[in-house]
Amino acid sequence: MFEPMDDAIERIARHLRRPVHIDPALDGRVMREITALPARAGARSLGAAWRWVRRPRQFTLTPLGGLAAAAALATVVVLSRMDSGSSVPPPAESRVFQFVLVAPRATQVSLVGDFNDWDATRTPMRRARSEALWTAVVPLTPGRYHYAFLVDGSRWMADPTAPVARDEDYGTPSSVLTVGGGGS
Amino acid sequence: MTLAVTSTALLAAMLVAARAAAQQIDPRLERLDATTRPIVATLVDSARGAALPTEPLVQRALEGATKRAAGEVIVAAVRRLAVDLGHARDALGSTTSPAELIAGAAALRAGASPTILTELRHTRREPLTVPLAVLADLVASGVPVDSAAAAVLALAARARDADLVEFRRAVERNIALGAPPAAATAAMAASVQVNAGARQQRPGRP
Repeated sequence: MFEPMDDAIERIARHLRRPVHIDPALDGRVMREITALPARAGARSLGAAWRWVRRPRQFTLTPLGGLAAAAALATVVVLSRMDSGSSVPPPAESRVFQFVLVAPRATQVSLVGDFNDWDATRTPMRRARSEALWTAVVPLTPGRYHYAFLVDGSRWMADPTAPVARDEDYGTPSSVLTVGGGGS
Repeated sequence: MTLAVTSTALLAAMLVAARAAAQQIDPRLERLDATTRPIVATLVDSARGAALPTEPLVQRALEGATKRAAGEVIVAAVRRLAVDLGHARDALGSTTSPAELIAGAAALRAGASPTILTELRHTRREPLTVPLAVLADLVASGVPVDSAAAAVLALAARARDADLVEFRRAVERNIALGAPPAAATAAMAASVQVNAGARQQRPGRP
């Protein structure tokens, strides 16, 4: 036996119209379940990182911490400055030049110039076998250099074989060496 | 301490630290006396701010220290070089290399006009370090500025650096042998020009 179709539909409709009690905590439980579902690892971590980066937050810092941060910054700046301010030219393109001076009575000769900070201790010249010749070898990049010989720590000598650098400021004679580029 | 106060203090500390770092004096300048050192350091910083090469200024100061020049003499020499470097850059252009600027400053100091430097820039595609240095050296050897400039300008377009250096040597040799500087320069310039032209016309490898 079957009940008539209209009655069955009416009964189903009544059943569906009944108010249903839904637990208010259901939404929260559902979302927790969804969150717990395994997601694609990359997308999840990227999304979390993006949210973390964008989320505003407050920091507290002690004065000591601030000073430490400032000191660290200063150290980085100073180190980068020291790197960029080096006087040593890049080795690329450098050519080796030999400087020679005839000074038979000298006991000590130094080569000084704007390639060695005019430092008499940096490029001591070596006495050759003839005892009168003093030589030094220096790598130089293209440019125009001033130099001189410092004999026995006090006597200045220009290179007699090189052009003279006129010096209206210091008066002491210097010489000029011009180093050309690759084509020279 | 609130966030605002902390942030302000931190920013101030960073600015002070950065400024102190920027004003750090080149340790090589320790060779100058205590009065001269900060003045030279200020000149170097000014040059850096003007995008001029600072190494030549440091070297000029060190040269003075090694030569035991008085502090005011060193300051004057460094200041003068900074001015010359600026003029050289004005004449040669803002993309000029430090080596070219140094040679250009020497040429200006020798008596060459800024116009000559600008003409050289337009004449020669290769670096101008050697032509400018040769110009300065010729003038130092006694060649009149006009003669030296005319010769270098005539050679600059085609001569190699080595040709120019050899040209200068030949002129100095002839002057040492008694030739008038201007005549020696003109004669050698003509000779080098002929040689450079012959080299350019030489057929290359197939």
